[in-house]
Parts: sequence; structure tokens; C-alpha cells
Amino acid sequence: MSTPDDLASLLREGFDLEPADPLTVDRSRVVELARSLKGIGFEYFSYCAAAHYPATDADPDRTVVEYRLRRLPRDEVAFRVWVPTGESTPSLCGVFAGADWQEREQYDLVGTVFADHPDLRRIMLPEDWEGHPLRRDYAIDTRHHPWR
Amino acid sequence: MAVAHSEEAHEAPAGPVPTVVRPWADPYLDPETYDPEGDLMVMNLGPQHPSTHGVFRVKLWLDGEVCVKAVPYPGYLHRGVEKLCEKLTYVQIPPIVDKNDYVSPYINELAVNMAFEQLNAVEVPRRSQYLRTLGAEMQRVGSHLLWLGTFAMDMGGALGGGASAFMHTFRERETILDCFELWTGARFHYNTLTVGGSRHDVPAGFAEMVRRTYETIRARTIEYDELIYDNAIFRSRTEGVGRVDAKLAMELGVSGPILRASGIDWDLRRDRPYAAYGELKINVPVRSAGDSLARYEVRMAEMRESIRLVLDLIDGIPEGPICALKPVKLPGAFKGKAGQAYVAVDGPRGELGTWVIADGTERAYRLKIRPPSYHAMALIPYLAPGSTLSDIIVTLGSLDPILGEVDR
Amino acid sequence: MTEYPWLWGGGFALVLITVLMGVAAWSIWFERKFAGRMQNRPGPTQVGPAGLLQPLADLLKLIQKEDITPTNADSFLFNIAPPLGLLTVLGGMAVYPWAPGDWVPANLNIGILFTLSIGSLVTIPVWMAGWASNNKYALLGAMRAAAQAVSFEVPLLLTCLVPIILSGSFRMGDIVEAQADGHWFALWPPGPGAVAFVLFLLCSLAEANRIPFDIPEAESELVAGITTEYMGMKFGLFYLAEYMHTLIASFMGASMFLGGWDGPGPDGLHWLVLKGLTLYAGIFWIRWTFLRYRADQFMAICWRIFVPVSLLTVTVAAFWRVYA
Repeated sequence: MSTPDDLASLLREGFDLEPADPLTVDRSRVVELARSLKGIGFEYFSYCAAAHYPATDADPDRTVVEYRLRRLPRDEVAFRVWVPTGESTPSLCGVFAGADWQEREQYDLVGTVFADHPDLRRIMLPEDWEGHPLRRDYAIDTRHHPWR
Repeated sequence: MAVAHSEEAHEAPAGPVPTVVRPWADPYLDPETYDPEGDLMVMNLGPQHPSTHGVFRVKLWLDGEVCVKAVPYPGYLHRGVEKLCEKLTYVQIPPIVDKNDYVSPYINELAVNMAFEQLNAVEVPRRSQYLRTLGAEMQRVGSHLLWLGTFAMDMGGALGGGASAFMHTFRERETILDCFELWTGARFHYNTLTVGGSRHDVPAGFAEMVRRTYETIRARTIEYDELIYDNAIFRSRTEGVGRVDAKLAMELGVSGPILRASGIDWDLRRDRPYAAYGELKINVPVRSAGDSLARYEVRMAEMRESIRLVLDLIDGIPEGPICALKPVKLPGAFKGKAGQAYVAVDGPRGELGTWVIADGTERAYRLKIRPPSYHAMALIPYLAPGSTLSDIIVTLGSLDPILGEVDR
Repeated sequence: MTEYPWLWGGGFALVLITVLMGVAAWSIWFERKFAGRMQNRPGPTQVGPAGLLQPLADLLKLIQKEDITPTNADSFLFNIAPPLGLLTVLGGMAVYPWAPGDWVPANLNIGILFTLSIGSLVTIPVWMAGWASNNKYALLGAMRAAAQAVSFEVPLLLTCLVPIILSGSFRMGDIVEAQADGHWFALWPPGPGAVAFVLFLLCSLAEANRIPFDIPEAESELVAGITTEYMGMKFGLFYLAEYMHTLIASFMGASMFLGGWDGPGPDGLHWLVLKGLTLYAGIFWIRWTFLRYRADQFMAICWRIFVPVSLLTVTVAAFWRVYA
């Protein structure tokens, strides 16, 4: 999929980014990027997904959060932020209403904390569940009261 | 794209972008501010309720019978599918995701397998592409038939006219499952698609059976319209009920028939073709009203369109192999390349995506299903306030949620 | 028999209630078969020949169920509501004439008024059940029942005025007599009788909580409405009351508008039963075809359509009576 011109110019001029799938942005600029993309017509919030990467020699323990927006019918753009464990990334709820449930799900399952989220509760698992099951260090074979 | 707001959409913002002004209901409303006296009745709709299409729970604050605030609590059907997909191999994943959207399993398999194929740059043979298209369209008809029956039941009750519509749509759906049984050996959870193609070629006599089945259903869709759509009670129950704003729907990522009923002409089958859709002419039905009646119209039109596609396809499947790779039987026999992919297909409920990160082993590092119903259910806090309990049930039914894929 | 009217009436009522209970019970079998045919399925087949003993099996099942009164329910009201509901329904039959002559348990001169007032009392046990259950669904159903009772009772009474005006009597027997020799009010005078007949049937559907007006029960919205917390025979009594109510409404319609026992050939009970059961089957047909109205829509229909139209029929009937 080729990158549309207005998207490429927005990314190069406003954010100093080369078009890629996905883009990698700094946490401090992600809300601004989302706003600008919404401004040029990327109004469709497709998903927010996170994945956990345990600590390696080079990197600390961290999660990656990926958002995908679409400009209907054909264009789409994905951008990701890296969030070290213990820190938070700004929530996109102020820009896209759909970020609410999506970020709650990622918080619930992967454990990424979204700052300024209006309602950051668990959504899939019970309120008193311990741990975040989609983390790589989640012990799936440990017996635990009462569910696992 | 036929959206009324598109003229202001293409201006790049100058200076700081103002906070988004949202014209719809506030889902974060504090009931205390609405009613300091505390006279609101809090009602738990579900998880055990006949019309929640599974085990969905909504907490409603009711003023009389009018809803003030609605807070959904999904998760009662959470089975940890994404965690399972991390622990199982690529070969073992399709039968697991079959159970996500348990009304259209074929399209679930299609979504994950297409993601794996993109990840590994596997070219699927043309015959298999056509078979996949055929299966997806056959499944779409079955899924919409189930929706039609349950939607009527939401309004007419399990002991009334709704049940009659339900029984009739299920009669037709059974014949569709019979076709799939002949094809794949399973009525429902097929496990027929694999990386690189399909496992099962169509058997002898299949074309004749499919043609007979879908000709019958095409004739019967007229009966459904006569039974349901032409009924003044149905009209008054759905017209203007659960109106979805197109802007809100896009912000929430709502897709498929709900979005098309709100005036957005977008269909992944046509706009980002996959399988054999690039070679087919697809008419995408669009309505602008955005209410439950419009969603009914869109789904019925889609059903007719899918029946047409099935009847067109069944005679034109090209010859050739059905799988690019040798279908593997050992769970660990297929190793994926490292990388990342997101592939979306247009299921009966909308954009059904698979986001997969692979690390070069036989297992996916992380696999996320992007289910359309989950996004549709996020509409409930916006649609419920201001409508009565009866209308909430109708709205819920018209969104066609499958809780298996909402909760995963 | 006129020397001991209470003995005659009491004995008649006993036989009548027994027979009608049986009819109502077996009408459930009939409805299930009927619905089955409408839905491409056989209906009950297992108990007895053609499933004919199914009502007995249902009864046995209901009796065997554990009888639970919810902890926080008002147990007195909760337990008294189902028999009271059935009682109010059965009471309406006291003044009902079954055949020419003295075949009526209590030959009141204000028979219709008695039936209507007893029939509308059914809202009270329904409300009691909903309130005493201490369940939110039941409470909503009860509130709906009370709200809609106010709406449909008005047109129901007005439509009943039409045969009263045309026959000049409140006594059920006189109304049927006035329709002798084929002068059925649904056919003659043309117009008001037929319209009033249709409205009467629709309002009776609402009073008996049948689709499309089964708004207090509305199982897809309110789980089971007022009967959510009921089980076993207490639920069974409500269920039976619903069927009895429908049955009585059918017979009322048959005798007030369709000439009762009048018909070609010898007059008698057989004509009444035929007409009543035909109407009864018609109500089943409606039930298994239509969807349900919303509560506010139903009330709007009552006040905006039923009430004006029934007023019109009353006026036309009055003019007919005076000038024709």
C-alpha cells in the first residue's frame, strides 16, 4: 500500500518521521500525532494492541502499543509507542472515543498503563484478578486461587 | 466515500487542535449529578437475560423506564483465546479461533490464515482463493439468517411471532450447515483452511446442492420481508431506534453493516480486496438513516448480494491445486518467519482483523484478534441513554453482537 | 331450578369451571400444535396419542416443582396473587349465558358491567405479584400493566356499549336474544358493530396479556415480567389465568357480536362453542405471527385510535337505535 502524499508530508514536516508500517513515535508526541492524523481524515479508529517484551541485555522490560487508523475507504496508518514497564503512555481517549475500551483491554491483558484514561478498569477479567495474562512472564502453570 | 462531513475532513489543522466536541451522549456521566436525590433504579441487564445474545451484562440507571446511563461489563465469556494462540502452534490456531465468532467460523479461519500467509509471503492458489470466497459468502448468509431470527425474537419474544421468524430462518440455516458438512465434514467448526490454501476440495454433487439451497433461500428472503419488514409493528419498533452517528461509529471503530447503515460506503471486500474479491463485482448496500431499520435493510440487502455471489461463484471456480504448501498434520511442522502483520477481512459483522507478531518459531509471539462485535458493543454506552428498556433490547439486537468474539 | 337459584348457579358454576379449566388446559396442547404447524415442527408428540396428554404432563411437572418464596418478597401478597388472579378471571363467567333459556349461573340484569368490572380487577393481582416479588423486572412489568390498564379499559368499555345500546339491555342473555335469526351485531347494522368487534378483540388481547400487547410480560425485555419470581403451580395459575382470560374474551366476543348460540339450524351451545373456539384460534394465530408493541406505542394507539374510533361507533350505534 503506497503512502498518500498528504500523510507523508504531515509525517515528514510535522513529526520528522519516514512513512512506514508501523511508524514508531515517542510517547510524548503520540496524542499530537493522533490529532493531526484525525485532522487529515484518519477518523476511523481500527484498533489498539499491545505486546509485552521482557528485559534483554539491550532493552528494559517494556510493552509496545500499536494503534491503527484508517481514512475510509482505502488509506491506513499504524503507529506504535514503546512503554517501559512501570511507566505510562498517554491515552488517546481524548481524540478517539473508541480508544476507551481498546486501551482498557490492553491494560487488562498486557498491563500497559494509559495515563489520563477516564475509566481505566479491567474489562475482560474480574476486578480482583492478579497479574496480566498476556505478559510473557505470566506463570500459566502455577495453581492459583480460585481461577487458575 | 459518501459521508456528509468529508468537506472539512481534508484540511490540515493550523495551530493547536481544539478539543474534540462530541455531540452524543456522555458515557462517563455521573448518575449523582443527574439525580442528586438518588431515585434512579439500577438494573443489571444480564448476564442471565434472554435477549443479551449470550452472556453480556449492562448496568443500567433507569429513570422510570428511560435509561440515563449504561455501563457494559463484557468478559463473562472470556476464554483467553489470545493467550491460547501464543501457546499453540500456527497449525493449531484455526480450530481455536473458529469458536470466536461462533456464527461464522469460516471467516474467522480466513482472517488468521491470511495473516499467517502475509507474514510468510505465501501465494495462495487461485482455486483456493475462489473456494475461500465461496465459503465466506455462504457463511455470511448463514450468519445473517441467524441474526434475522434472533432480532425478530428480541421484539416478538420467544413465545410469539418472533419465534416463528426464528424457526423459519433456522430451517434455512440448517441447509447451509448441511452444505458445509458435505464440504468439510463438520457442520460448524470446520478447521478447513490452512496456511497456503484449503484442506478440503469441494466434493461431487456439491455445486448442485449449493445451487438448490441458495435458490431456495433467495426465494424465502421475500417471505421474511413479508413476515417482518412489511409489518407495521416491526417498523414502529425499529424506525429511529438506536440511531448511530457516523462520526461516532468511526471513532469507535464500528464497521460492517452498522457503519454502512449510517451512511459510510466502506467494504473491505471491495476497497481492499482479498481472496478472489478483486475479480468480482460487489454491490455494497448503504443506508443513511443509521437506525435499527436501516441496519435491517443493509443486512437483508447483503444477504441477497451474498446469495447472488454464491450462485455466481459456484459455477466459475477455476481448476488447480487447492493448497500452495503441503498441508501439515504435525502441530509443530510449520515454522513462521519473524515479523509483523495485520490483515483484515470483512466478516458478517465488519472488519475482522488479525494482528500477529512472529518470532520465527512455530508459535506466534503475540496474536490479537480485532473483533467487530467488540467495537459495536462499545456503542451501547452512547446509544442507551435516552431510550427505553424495550428500545435498548432492540438496539442490542440490531448491532448483532456475538459474545464469543466480544470476550474472546 | 328457579326455586333454588343459588343451588342451580353454584352447581352450574362448578361444572362450568371444571369444564373450562379442561378446555383451557387442552387449548395449550392445541396452541402448541398450532404453533408447531406454523413453524415447521410437529409440536408435542410424545405424551399420549399425538401428544394429547401433554397438558397432564405439564401439570405434573408444575406440581412437582419446588415452591419457593423469595426471601425478601412480601410473602402474603406474593402467595395470594396467583389464586386471586385466577379468581378474578373466573368470576367474569358467572353471568355468561351458554344456551337459550336459563343456562346461566347467575342471571344478573347488569351482566356485562359485572363481567367487565371483574375482568379489569385482574390488574390488581398482577400488580400485587409484581410488587411483592421484590424483583426489578417484575416491578417494571407491574407498572406497565397498571399503566396500560388505564389505556385499554376505556375503549374496551366503549366497544361493549355498542351491543348494549343496540339491544337495549345490560343482561347478556338479552343481548344474545336481540341478535336472533342472524341479526348479529358484527354484521347488522353495518359499520359500528364490526368496528367495535375488532376493537373489542384487540382490547381483550391487551387485557389477557397476549401478543402483540403482552407488554407486562415481554419476556425478551423483562425476562418474564411479573412472573419472573414465580415457579411451580403459582406460575401455573398465572399461566392458566391467561388462557382462561383469552377463552372468556373469545366467548364474550362471540356472544356480544356474533350472535352467541344463534346460527343456521337448531340454536344451542354448539354454535357458541364453535364461534368461541374459532375466535380463540384466531387469537393464537395473531400471537404466533406478530411482534410486540412498545409500552408507550401501545398507549398512544389506545388513546389516539381506539378511543376516538370506539366513541364514534357508540355515537353511530346510538343514532341507529334512535332513528332506524
